[in-house]
Amino acid sequence: MSILVHRVRSAGPLISRIVAALFGGYAVAALSSVAVLALPMSKPQAVLTGMLASFIIYAGAVIWVFAVRSATKAWVGLMIVAVLLLPAAWSVS
Amino acid sequence: MKTDQNPKPAGRGIRQSMSSLHTWAGLLLGWVLYSMFLTGTVSYFKDELSQWARPELPHLVQVPDPAAVAQRIANEFSRMDGGTSQWSMRVPDARNNSVYAFWRTSARTPGQRGFAEAHFDPATGEKVASRETLGGEFFYRYHFQFHYMPVVWGRWLAGIAAMFMLVAIISGVITHKKIFVDFFTFRWRKGQRSWLDAHNALSVFGLPFHAMITYSGLVTLMALYMPWGERAAFKTPAERAQLTAELSAFVPPGKPSGQKAPLAPVEDMVRQAQERWGQNNIGRVNVVHAGDAAARVTVVRGEPGRVSMSPQYMMFEGTTGKLLNVSESVGPAAETRGVFYALHLGRFSDTVTRWLYFLVSAMGTAMVGTGLVMWTVKRREKLPDPQRPYFGFRLVERMNIASIAGLSVAMTSFLWANRLLPSSLAGRANWEINVFFIVWALMLLHALLRPAKAAWVEQLGMASALLFLLPVLNALTTQRPLWHSLATGDWVFAGIDIMCWVLAALHAVLALRAARQKTGSRSTRKTSRRAPIAVAAGGGAE
Amino acid sequence: MIHAAVFSLCLAGFVALAFATRRQQREFLGGPLRSSVTYALRVIGTCALLAALGVLVTWQGWGLGLVMFSGHTTLTAGIVFCGLIVRSRKNVRAASR
Repeated sequence: MSILVHRVRSAGPLISRIVAALFGGYAVAALSSVAVLALPMSKPQAVLTGMLASFIIYAGAVIWVFAVRSATKAWVGLMIVAVLLLPAAWSVS
Repeated sequence: MKTDQNPKPAGRGIRQSMSSLHTWAGLLLGWVLYSMFLTGTVSYFKDELSQWARPELPHLVQVPDPAAVAQRIANEFSRMDGGTSQWSMRVPDARNNSVYAFWRTSARTPGQRGFAEAHFDPATGEKVASRETLGGEFFYRYHFQFHYMPVVWGRWLAGIAAMFMLVAIISGVITHKKIFVDFFTFRWRKGQRSWLDAHNALSVFGLPFHAMITYSGLVTLMALYMPWGERAAFKTPAERAQLTAELSAFVPPGKPSGQKAPLAPVEDMVRQAQERWGQNNIGRVNVVHAGDAAARVTVVRGEPGRVSMSPQYMMFEGTTGKLLNVSESVGPAAETRGVFYALHLGRFSDTVTRWLYFLVSAMGTAMVGTGLVMWTVKRREKLPDPQRPYFGFRLVERMNIASIAGLSVAMTSFLWANRLLPSSLAGRANWEINVFFIVWALMLLHALLRPAKAAWVEQLGMASALLFLLPVLNALTTQRPLWHSLATGDWVFAGIDIMCWVLAALHAVLALRAARQKTGSRSTRKTSRRAPIAVAAGGGAE
Repeated sequence: MIHAAVFSLCLAGFVALAFATRRQQREFLGGPLRSSVTYALRVIGTCALLAALGVLVTWQGWGLGLVMFSGHTTLTAGIVFCGLIVRSRKNVRAASR
């Protein structure tokens, strides 16, 4: 029983990182693709720029999540970026 | 799951975490990625394969004049039973000996898209009589939307696989710290090290291509994967049309006027485009509201010589042939997207460049293959009991065999089916595809039932035999045997026959190498295509 | 024809660059070369590659030129790599007789 508990406990941070990478990363990329509309360029160009850049942002977020020292730090980092992008994204939607 | 990954002790290091990330990102969707890479590689010659798949259509010695062909097709559509108000044709070129066109049909049943498609003879304008087949288009479509599933699901799977690939590339670069010092390194003494060196070489030499092809692949379907900006910015169809105009030459037609008026000669409109862009630099001719006073004809520029797919077209008033506008530039972001799209498809290529695309893409395929095999090689050496490996190992080992060697057998079987299935068979094109998947499933079954080494050797051997015999089958079942193609300068047919033999030889070499591997803790399965490096490694690894 | 010339330039360039690395020098030439020779090989190799790029860009413009350059360099680097392995194995076989 304690082995199982130990396993679940040590898998926890890994699963947390996987969730952060898969879903948190996508959310940050999606947010940035909306936030880019706040930049001073024509709407069609802004929309396309947002789409074009979204994949490297997503990939970068995934790398970040697995590179930092702890799962908690990974989530905090993503949250900070999301909070920074939120006002811009909110203002244009 | 590696539990030693968390919590991270201080000094675990970014290279180790990136190494684990690279392994998992590569392994989880590696088999999907291998099939995407291989079908994508082959798709650089999809037009040639499609020609091969329709041997009834004669080889075109000379590319016909696009203007004349466009007029013949236009006449054909105006004569068509029931008529059609909207059609689009692709002009034949050096790689396509027929005109592919689709048009709006009047019959609209629920679930039907209201469009029909066919191939037409450029000399007569009539529909061609040839066997019903997808030809090279099957591999192309499989590459980004697979099969037996709604198209959107397939594209999502392709996109997820591409993101895993992108993460694998980035983590691979971070973890390979001596990327330049080791540039020409190869160690052939240790089995696992040799696979690693082969994998590294294939990855590093092709790095610009692999990174470009992965990112550009995501860009081609970016509107599906990241629609949020578009949704937030555009609320009305008119606004959305602003965006579409930056991406596509298809201009949504306005309302028809209701007045009947014949279409002016399309030939003259195409000639104006030829003056502007070049005799053979025409891509498509699209017509909307044919037969109506509001008809519009769009002539779209061809692809050669231009590394961009952003729309360039001339729009004419259908009834008079008067030039209404020329659209030749789009905004910077749209042009960037156009460049990415063009880089992925490589349609601008001349023959040498197309072969370069094919060969480097094959290197990418081998990169994925060597990565997958390396996983089993590394772990086989650590197995406590080599005769009874754990479930994960057995799964990866068998899936490797079926998805790598088995895929070659399946793809060749598709071409065999093209030659063997009777023309009168209903749904013939779908049956060719079913044969592909049936054979692939049988290969999986074979891989599960046979010992691993035997499965590798037998499947590679099967692929080699099928490839070798395909030109023989072609000679027996069509009027286009190799000697005839060579005599008439038909390099499409001759090229494919010869490539079949080259690939047969490659698979034979791989099968022999796999057969020579000693079973046991140091055994390695030879799997990758186009990796003579690893062949050298395998031979010296004993 | 131009493609053949570009291909040859890239091939020569990578051969020069390969022999400017100590590992290959030890392997095939018996020992490291003088540093001036190594430097010269690096310069020659780089110049050959740049010349290839120049030819392609002049012929086809930057867009197509860069794409073709990427293809040629990838392929020729791979060929040099395979050539080194083949040579190396021949040496090992000869030495073990």
